[in-house]
Amino acid sequence: MGKVRLSQEGVVFALAVALFAVFAVLLNNFLTAGNLIALVRSVSILGILGLGMGLVVIGRGIDLAMIATMVVTLSWVLSMAQAGTPFDTALAYGFLLAVAIGLASGILIAYADIPAIFTTLAMGLVIYGSGRAFLFQIDVQNTPSGVAWFDFLGRGLLFGLPMPIAAFAVLAALIALMLMRTRFGRFVYAAGDNPLAARITGVPLRPLIVLQYVVSSLIAFLAGIVMAAAVSGMSTRVYNSTMIYDVLLVVVLGGISLSGGRGGVRNVLVGTLLVGVLLNGMTILDITYTTQNLIKSLILLLAIMVDSFINPRDEQTSQQSQGDI
Amino acid sequence: MTPLVQLRGVSKDFRGVMAISEVNFEIRPGEIHAILGENGAGKSTLMKVLAGVYQPSSGEMLLDGQPATLKSPSDALSHGIAMVFQETNLVPSMSVAQNIYLGDEKLFNRLRGLNIQAQRYLLSLNFYVDPTVQVSFLGAGKKQLVEIARAVHHNARLIIFDEPTATLTPEEKFHFFNLARRLKEEGMAIIFISHALEEALQLADRITVMRDAKVVVTDETSKFDRDRIVQAMVGRSLSGELYSDQARVPRPMGRKILSVENLSMGNTVRNTSFSVFAGQVTGLFGLVGAGRTETMKIVAGVLKRDYFHGGTVRFEDRPVRYRTPRPAVRDGIVYVTEDRKIEGFFETMTIAGNIQLGDLAKGDNLLTPTTPRQGRDLAVEWTKRLGVRAIDADARVIELSGGNQQKVVLAKALVQKPKLVILDEPTRGVDVGTIVEIHNFINDLADSGMAVVVISSYLPEIIALSDRILVARQGRIVEEMDVAEATESRIMYAAVH
Ligand SMILES: Nc1ncnc2c1ncn2[C@@H]1O[C@H](COP(=O)(O)OP(=O)(O)OP(=O)(O)O)[C@@H](O)[C@H]1O
Ligand SMILES: [Mg+2]
Repeated sequence: MGKVRLSQEGVVFALAVALFAVFAVLLNNFLTAGNLIALVRSVSILGILGLGMGLVVIGRGIDLAMIATMVVTLSWVLSMAQAGTPFDTALAYGFLLAVAIGLASGILIAYADIPAIFTTLAMGLVIYGSGRAFLFQIDVQNTPSGVAWFDFLGRGLLFGLPMPIAAFAVLAALIALMLMRTRFGRFVYAAGDNPLAARITGVPLRPLIVLQYVVSSLIAFLAGIVMAAAVSGMSTRVYNSTMIYDVLLVVVLGGISLSGGRGGVRNVLVGTLLVGVLLNGMTILDITYTTQNLIKSLILLLAIMVDSFINPRDEQTSQQSQGDI
Repeated sequence: MTPLVQLRGVSKDFRGVMAISEVNFEIRPGEIHAILGENGAGKSTLMKVLAGVYQPSSGEMLLDGQPATLKSPSDALSHGIAMVFQETNLVPSMSVAQNIYLGDEKLFNRLRGLNIQAQRYLLSLNFYVDPTVQVSFLGAGKKQLVEIARAVHHNARLIIFDEPTATLTPEEKFHFFNLARRLKEEGMAIIFISHALEEALQLADRITVMRDAKVVVTDETSKFDRDRIVQAMVGRSLSGELYSDQARVPRPMGRKILSVENLSMGNTVRNTSFSVFAGQVTGLFGLVGAGRTETMKIVAGVLKRDYFHGGTVRFEDRPVRYRTPRPAVRDGIVYVTEDRKIEGFFETMTIAGNIQLGDLAKGDNLLTPTTPRQGRDLAVEWTKRLGVRAIDADARVIELSGGNQQKVVLAKALVQKPKLVILDEPTRGVDVGTIVEIHNFINDLADSGMAVVVISSYLPEIIALSDRILVARQGRIVEEMDVAEATESRIMYAAVH
């Protein structure tokens, strides 16, 4: 099976490049500077969110509250800043809120044994609802002016790279290092591969699960900062979009298996590239949102089917092929 | 008589390494055929080729004298070949009846009708299993009966069993033997893999021995004895090394490292008390259901505390009450599971990844850097110490043969440098040669001062290994003896009465 998975990244990468080439040749708006910047921006944010989701999925979980977390923390931060709170203080509050959300999801999942998919789905609704009720009133929050680093994060260049993509790259490197080269990372893989074995070996399973959701929440917060900086604001429309499915698409299409323990940052990178190019191309092609969503959902369904075929989660099916002792 | 199935020059490789090579093999209608060989010799692979799980990379296969290819296990079943894997393929959440008729149920099946049908069918086979019971509540022996019933229901003419007796109690083994003979009388051919040579000698009509991916010899059982089989398996003679009668000098008790008083849990562990000492091997014997595993899992924090109903555990003179295995591991108590597939290893990881995890899990700081290098070094050391065999260093543990997986699980536990190690059926699925190695290894551990508890259902193993023997019955330790005063009959008497 090793071969299959190795080449899966290759295939996805090749697909992304091919799609890029096709769009570049066929669509005359595609290769313009304006579009490429838009592409890079959307890809960066999608990619940052994908890193968080990827981490949780490797640990055999899922975090459907990421978009809600992103929207609510940032909307709150910006509205506080508008009301006169120093931006740094507001950010600190946002940070704490993100941690609290991650803790809440993580504790429910790890200690109350509620399936991650339901916990985070409900958590997303709760956060958004209470955010709208208590933390901010208007739909679109604008960024404060005069915060130099924030403007730079949105529009600056680092070694010629737009800052959002640089932020994505740095975070990707950090997460890759964390997954491959720290005890935490190895624990995440172990817990995703076989939670019972991880527990018996002495991995602190429950605290580890909580920590994963705290990290994914914080990554959502970070994605929110980059997004707000890039588009000078945060809108609740983002919450109502299908973005969470795009993030899932990045992860699953990139080849991180929903059955846990398999995949890594490389998969998020190729997944992001493919999904980013696809979304951008479809927008230029002027395909309606409805059709776009249909196409995306079909691809997601297909990717999940392929995944469950290659990496069966159900022990019973997997034993058909690996039956013996 | 044309053979039922015949393999001619069949090979199967994984990433270029031969798992079976140029194998000629035939199975005759109505025979019982035993396959023997060391861990990793290729037995399971050969059987999976017969059962359509793997397609051979070269060579040909004849069914009833006609060339045939089997594309999948269900294809094989339609040709009358069924395979019973050691870890069962039954759906645990379904009832016995549903499992038997799995795959051919009508769209709307009345459960009652199904149960009645299954009841009749099971009785016709003389199987006493309740068809309405959910499979996850059955013991290993009953599960096997259900698998067999399913195979017979699908008109199998050949049933292949991969290590069928490894998880059975002696009584269940006896039933299995009788059943195999009865199936044979009805014309069914049976192949079984086993590491217990006596079983092969007792049950089989013919025996095939494999070594290093090749079939070394196939012959009538009457032409074999233990020595000839071992000779064929390992290429040298082992006689006298295993379960020898030579008197051993028991190691003296070291300091008392663990003491358990009045421990209870539901009705599996009842008010049990015992102690374990450093520097010796404590054998824990009992029939299945005597609560041995449960007792030790409570000690090591593996069983959740909700089920912990009372009693005290003292480790190194400190009262402890572990709610998860982690604090136990960090204090130096490590439990090595009997159920390696479910809670033993990480299947997507390499040997190195698994062993390294054992090492990492002992530590604390989540941000400590680790390198694959450290894992590889550990893997080199431990694969050498335990003689783990794989096709290459990058093999994932799921790709190892059963016995080699067991060694990896052992290594993963021992890198944690426990003070008290609990080995639950440590040699299950392990070949005779390796059993000797593992036993030597266990002795070395005890000599080095470690407290070792060995849980085993195999009496000769308990007697060969232990310095002190504890006997469990119905959830409590009922007798404790020095190996010098132990005899098989005395231990057995304590376990039963
Ligand atoms: N799917 C696989 N991928 C890679 N290598 C494999 C795979 N299956 C088996 N092997 C290798 O083929 C060899 C033979 O394995 P096999 O499982 O047939 O041994 P076995 O005789 O059944 O051993 P045991 O007694 O330990 O069960 C081993 O070296 C094993 O590592
Ligand atoms: Mg095998």
